Amino acid sequence: MSDPSSAAAEELTKLKSDNAALHVALKEAQKTNQQYLQNVAHQLTAPLGAIKWSIEALKDPEVPIQRKSKLLSSIYSQATILVHLIKNFALMSNLEADLELGQFRERPEPVDIMKLCINLANDFQPQAAEHETSIVVDELSFAEALQGKKVEMVKNLIAQAVSNLLENAVKYADFKTTITIDAQRASFANLPVSLLLSVTSTGLPIKAEETSRLFERGFRGSMAKQKVPAGTGIGLYLAKRVMSLHKGAIGLKPRNRESRFILAFPLSSAV
Amino acid sequence: MKTVLFVDDEPWFHEPLRYALEAKGYECLFVTDMSLALETLERSQVSVVVTDIMMPAGKDYPNLDSQETGFHLIQKVRANWPQTGVVCLSVIGDQSKIRPLRAYKIDYLRKGEVPLATVVQTIERAAGEGGQKVWRF
Repeated sequence: MSDPSSAAAEELTKLKSDNAALHVALKEAQKTNQQYLQNVAHQLTAPLGAIKWSIEALKDPEVPIQRKSKLLSSIYSQATILVHLIKNFALMSNLEADLELGQFRERPEPVDIMKLCINLANDFQPQAAEHETSIVVDELSFAEALQGKKVEMVKNLIAQAVSNLLENAVKYADFKTTITIDAQRASFANLPVSLLLSVTSTGLPIKAEETSRLFERGFRGSMAKQKVPAGTGIGLYLAKRVMSLHKGAIGLKPRNRESRFILAFPLSSAV
Repeated sequence: MKTVLFVDDEPWFHEPLRYALEAKGYECLFVTDMSLALETLERSQVSVVVTDIMMPAGKDYPNLDSQETGFHLIQKVRANWPQTGVVCLSVIGDQSKIRPLRAYKIDYLRKGEVPLATVVQTIERAAGEGGQKVWRF
């Protein structure tokens, strides 16, 4: 029969060791959280700071009127970025609750997804122009893939998911390249033949070992961090959650410097 | 005409500043990483470098920590172009990191928070002082 006091001592040692490990993990989580909050703060203050300076320059009598017109466009562009970012944060809390309940907050409706993509592309054109890139919607591919049908979805959620892909594409694409949005019917991942919506850009390569982590909350690829040091790392995570809620999927097909991000909708959602 | 070189991976941020400086007769150049900044300094006569801290180091420095690139650039400017003025325009909140800049009399301004007119004045002062100070870093 074992000595009860020795067993208790062993248990105590184990508890101490577990406690120390938890303490280290907690410190690490606190550090990550702090860095994350700093990033979020930067993402929010940068567009606001740019808007503030633009307004000051608008008030400067020495700045020519043609420049002032450009400043107004810039204010609009920064405000768009800010709205998009704040929507992402609002979505983050709502989506967690929706996924837990397994239901949508808003009722899904049939949406002309090509029209939605064209509108989103137009929203991002000013940002793309600042990076000397352009966004093209391959309308023919949509016509072939949709065959006159609409896609049942929560429009605001899908718009946010596509916006997140476009925002990344604009940020990380090479200068003077084209970002393409297209659609097709094909099988993808473990899904049967689905409706695939792709955003393809050429630019920053994604490391093979990082592709599976890109959709984790707060994760940013090392090359992305090198090119654009500040970022929240929630865009792809949210897009993934949105697609889960739509019983679809999200994925990436990288090829050299080309990155093709895919949103897959079940064919049953085409109505 | 005096030339101001902006080094920042968010060049759109400096559009208002550029217009205010151009209205005063400055030429403004923009690059998005340290490698391009050094290339520009090699071939152009620059009066003031206005640099961010957190930005890409670029193709010539693949292993540099992007969180502190600006400090490396400042050191290189001080060592190789001592006549060129430097202004640091960033959002670093950590005072311990900023202290060395103050010790070497490099103006540090918080991007988007300091009034635009103050930034313009600071850059003009740095441009005016170019060649008059001996910088040590």
